[in-house]
Parts: sequence; structure tokens; C-alpha cells
Amino acid sequence: MSQLQLDKLTKVFTDDDGSDIVAVDGVSIDIEDGEFLVLVGPSGCGKSTTLRMVAGLETVTSGDIRLGDRTITDQKAQERDIAMVFQSYALYPHMTTRENMSFGLEESTDMSTDEIYDRVEQAAELLGIAALLDRKPTELSGGQQQRVALGRAIVREPEVFLMDEPLSNLDAKLRSSMRTELQRIQEDLDTTTMYVTHDQTEAMTMGDRIAVLNDGRLQQVGTPLECYHRPANRFVGGFIGEPSMNFFEMTVEGDRLVSDRLNYPLSAETADAVAGSDRVTLGIRPEDIEIVDRPADDHAFETVVDVVEPRGNENSVYLMFGDQETEENPETFVAIVNGMSRVEAGEPVVAHVPEDAVHLFDADSGDALRNRVLDDLDETEPRV
Amino acid sequence: MKEFFERVRRATSGRSADRGAGADGSDPEESDGPAESGAAVTDGGVATGSDRGGTTGDDPGALRRAFDRIDDRLGRDFVESSPFWLPAFLLMGFFVYGAIGWNVLISLTDYRGFGTVDYSQLDFDMYVRAFQSSAVQQAAINTFVLLLGFTIVCLIFGMLLAILLDRRVRYDNSLRLIYLLPMSLSFVVTAQFWLWMYDYSNGIVNQVLGLVGLGPYNFIGNPQLVLGAVIFALVWQYSGYAMVVYLSALRAIPDEHFEAAKVDGASVVRMYWRVIVPQLRSATISAAVVIMVFALKAFDFLYSLVGGYRPPNGADILATLMVREAYQNTNWAYGSAIAVILFMMALAVIGPYLVYQYRNDAL
Repeated sequence: MSQLQLDKLTKVFTDDDGSDIVAVDGVSIDIEDGEFLVLVGPSGCGKSTTLRMVAGLETVTSGDIRLGDRTITDQKAQERDIAMVFQSYALYPHMTTRENMSFGLEESTDMSTDEIYDRVEQAAELLGIAALLDRKPTELSGGQQQRVALGRAIVREPEVFLMDEPLSNLDAKLRSSMRTELQRIQEDLDTTTMYVTHDQTEAMTMGDRIAVLNDGRLQQVGTPLECYHRPANRFVGGFIGEPSMNFFEMTVEGDRLVSDRLNYPLSAETADAVAGSDRVTLGIRPEDIEIVDRPADDHAFETVVDVVEPRGNENSVYLMFGDQETEENPETFVAIVNGMSRVEAGEPVVAHVPEDAVHLFDADSGDALRNRVLDDLDETEPRV
Repeated sequence: MKEFFERVRRATSGRSADRGAGADGSDPEESDGPAESGAAVTDGGVATGSDRGGTTGDDPGALRRAFDRIDDRLGRDFVESSPFWLPAFLLMGFFVYGAIGWNVLISLTDYRGFGTVDYSQLDFDMYVRAFQSSAVQQAAINTFVLLLGFTIVCLIFGMLLAILLDRRVRYDNSLRLIYLLPMSLSFVVTAQFWLWMYDYSNGIVNQVLGLVGLGPYNFIGNPQLVLGAVIFALVWQYSGYAMVVYLSALRAIPDEHFEAAKVDGASVVRMYWRVIVPQLRSATISAAVVIMVFALKAFDFLYSLVGGYRPPNGADILATLMVREAYQNTNWAYGSAIAVILFMMALAVIGPYLVYQYRNDAL
């Protein structure tokens, strides 16, 4: 168990025609001892490449990887004392569960057969797969295979766990139960873990911290709630959260934001924050939009309900501005309202966009100029 | 010849009479069985089911159930589909299995020289003679050595080539072609080609060995070397085939298995030995079967090597011996007996494979 440091890690692939593709661009992250760090981003953002560089399965173009006090950048995968769980599980099909789990110990340590046997039994006990030890992978269900893959990593008692979308081949129910179980196991073992996923729900629920990656660049590293409430830029704001944050392109005109359909007055404090920009992007989370009967102040706008997606506990309401009703593809935005409230498609409603909850991003760089007002972020932290 | 057909006719009519008697005598209802079941289909199968269940107690019922089972297995359109499979079935049955059967029959006679076959006296004299003959024993041993040596070396060499190619060396497509090309050559060409290569005074093999101070060796003339030389030439020709089979099997193994083994701490050699090679089991079996069958058919190679029935000393195999006995010495019955022995060896090779495939539902 050790601290894992990525220092300006860069990976450049050379294409067949000789052009360079930068997959990972100067990523620096410090992962504390025992921390669960989730690397999240859309497909092709370089998160898997980053993980594979840490595993030693990809060479590093530049930068350093340090594990504890040794630099492992140029070490072979075999020597790194790292265990990895693959998306496809990669169980050896000709070996039983027990042989699959023993393999790593047999190859990487000089433990006796008895010791290996005990370790495997222990890990199998922890994962509830003790009864499956003599079966072959083909005789296991997807969830069981997943546990074996996890067990294969756990028995090694490595310094770092690397997990490459380990839950994405499971069905939704199993995935959410494995999510909690994985967290429990990681907390029990207290092993530094780097977990790659494209699923922001997994990132939010599992990680001690999240690292958001886009186009090979690190966008933000922070606790899940920091990333949610204080996105460093427009990408993070849009990526974290489901349904995504609503964005409106606006022009700054003095102390108000103006677009074709909106005219949003700003308080003096907020106006200061955007003073340096001409054009900004206004971001508002769906749950922060309130649907009211009549405009209470000048932050409320007349809209028409386009579609309602009921989800039981809450409804996603897709709204459009009234003058768009005749358009082919009206520009809609989402509000989340209580599941009990009755809203029907076609109904005119008033959407209130409270200024406290508004995020403002620079339209060119995407950097956050102002994040929502929170009384105290620390109070909403689930754990420290 | 006439007697033979007479005998066959008697045998078949006897058998069919037997069967007819059995069917008629054991179960009087059997004749209207099809009509009954045909009618039953229209008003639901339950009635027939219970009906048949009622007769299970005694022997005729069991026979009938067996017939039903055959019907079930062959399917209802057995007769309708017969124009499609029956011609091929009959041709195959006559020319392949009929010929094998006839060959077995001849091997039981004493047929030799010119003249007609005498089927009146069938015995195993020829087999006794074959098993006692030192020539047959030596040929059987040679066949066995060729079979095993050629197959094993071919598989190992092919696997190593495939692993090297799979590690994405440069130009792997053209390399694959180069290794596979020898297989397209006829045995006649390969034999002539290697005859020159192995030439005592001018052959390139001896020239090369001469560079490192070895030889020259008389590869073809020396009875101790000739079988090895033949195996080497055949390996040269067929390892490409093993390589292609292994390569496709290797490409089917997901990259994650290699990577997982690496992360698990296995060295490259250990990774291949414990994780990859065991997964090539079915590829090994199918490649081995094909290569073994080639080994048993090495007759044309040896025939072309010397341009005659008498292969070099120390390289006589059952196939060459069989042809020599039959066509050079006109010992037809004796040659047939050797052919049956060879056939049994081939069957011993391919039989388990067929059973294995059948069990895996691949056949």
C-alpha cells in the first residue's frame, strides 16, 4: 500500500501515416495511500491509456509514475506489484477459479502451495465465491466471473489496484449492488485504488476523489461533490450529473446576460465575476430550476412543457421557450420536479432560474467564472 | 465373381427376411402403425401417446418404441428429403465404404498373380504372414516413427512460428505467405527438391554443414539418417499448415489474457506456457489429425524420391510396402492385408478425434 503519483504523464501514439495522436497530455495526479480515485471521462478521453501506463501495459512517452518511493515508469508490468481487473475479466478459460486466483501468487511470489491455498480461500470467503473455487469460468455467471476477477486481484495483496470499467458488463441491478460491495471491500483492504469508468454515477458514488479527463487532459480532480457543485469548467459541469446541466449561450451586457430568448439580470457580485468576458455560458442544474405558477421576479421565464419523463420519485420535464412551438427541433432544457407534481406536455409553465444556483463559464475557454453559491460545502461531505 | 454376388444376395435376402419376420411376427399392429399415428396427429397426439404407453410392458412394445425413436431422430421429412442426400450417400457408400469392404474381403483370400479371385476360402493367413514378416514390422515401426516424429516436430515448429508471427513482427503477412507456400507444392516437387538439397557431394545441406566442419553426410543412402531426412523435408512442407492453424487460434485469444498474465507477474515464457499454449488445445488436435493423415500418405513423397517402388533402405513405410507387394509382386491379397493394417492405424488416429468432435457437437 503506497501513494501513487502520476507526474506530467504523456502518451503519444504514432498513426500509420506518421501523424502523432496525443492520447494523454501531461496528466498529474497524486493518489493518497488507501485512496479510491475514479478516473472518469467520455470514450476516447485517454483514461484507459492512463491506467494501462500505470499497469505497465503501455510505454510512457514522457512523465513519471512513482509508487511509494520508487519510480516505476520504465519497469516491466511483471515487476510493479500492481493488480488489475479488466473490463472483460480476462479469466483464463482453461483454469478453475482456484487456479485463476492462485496464478498471480505462483508467478509473482515464492509462497508455498499451502500459503497460496489459504490466501485464495480467504479471498474467496470475502467475496462469497468459496463454493465456486473448482468451477471453470464458463460455468460461472457474469456476476460470479466479475467476483473471480476481483478475487484474482485481491489475493495478490498488491500495492495498487487498477480497475478498468470492471462493472460495465453487468446488468443494472447487479452493477449497483457490486458498486457498494466494491467500496466495502476497498475500505476493508485499504488499498490504493485507481478505477476507470465512463459512468459518472459510478464516479460520484464510489470515488473518494474523482479525476475528470477529456481529450487526454485532466479537467479537474476533487471530491465527487466538489466536482458536482464547483466544476472547474464547462466540460466537468456537463459531464458530471445526470441529466446534465443545462447550458445557455449568453452575451454580457453590463449587469445582465442577454440571448435571443433570455434576458437574465445579474447581481452586482456576479456581474463583477463576468466583467472580463463578452460572452459567457450560463449553466444551471436541472434540479435547481423551479417550476412556478407565475413569475415571481425577473429570473423567471415563460416556457412550454415539451415532454415529461416520469421516474416515480421525480419527473424530468423538458421545457422549451414559447416561441419555439412551431420549430422543427426546438431547443429544450430540463428541469427536475417532484414526482407528485402534475405537469402535462403542452402546458405553459414558468421556469424560475435562481441566481444562487447559476454557474457561469467563459464561452471561449470554458473556465468557470462563477460557481453556484453553497452555504458550506463541507457540511454536505459524506466522508472526509 | 458370380459366387461372390450369389453369396451377397443370399446374405442380404436372408437378413431382410429375418427382419420382415421379426416385424410381422412380433407385433401385428405394426403394419397399420403409420396410418394410425398419421390419423392421430390430426386429433391431437395425446391419445397416441397413452396408447403407446400402454404397450410398454412386453417386448413388442419396446421394439416399437425403438422404431418411434428412430423416426423421431430421422425426422418426418426423411423420405421427402432423400433425393438430396441419397445420391451422395449411395455414391459414397459404394465407392468408399464398398471399396473398403471389398478390400477387406480380398485380404481374406489368397489372391495372387494373374487370374480370378477365389472367395471360397476365407481366412486370416495373410494377416498372420504380415505380422510375422520382418519387412512389415520394420515398415510399421517406420510408419509409426514418421507419424509421431513428423507430427510432433511439425506442431512444435508451427506453434513457435505462429507465436513469433503473433507477436506482430514486421511484414507478418508476407512471412505467413512464405511459410505457407511449400504446402501448395506437390510431394513430387518437394521430393525432387530435397533430393538435390541432400545430395552427397553438391547438396546445399552438406555444403552448409561443411562450413562448420561437419559431414558430408549421405542423407538418403544412410539407413540411419534417411528417415530423419524425410521427416525434416516433410516438416519443411507442412509446418506452414500447423502455423496457420495456430495463428488463427492465437488471434482468437483476447489481448487481455496476455496482459492479465503480465500484470500477474508471469514472464513471457511462463505466460505462453501456462496461459496461452493450454488454450491452443483444440487447434493442436485438429492440426495434429490433418498432419498425421498426411504422414500416413507420405507414399508419393518416397516414391518420387527414388522414382520407384523401393524406397531408400530405412525409409520403407507401410504405404510403400503395400503398393510394392500389390503392384510389383502381384501379391494382391497380401497387399490388401497390409492396406487393412494401415487403414486401422489411420482409424486409430482419426477415430478418437471424430468421437471427440461428436461429443462436443461439432460434427
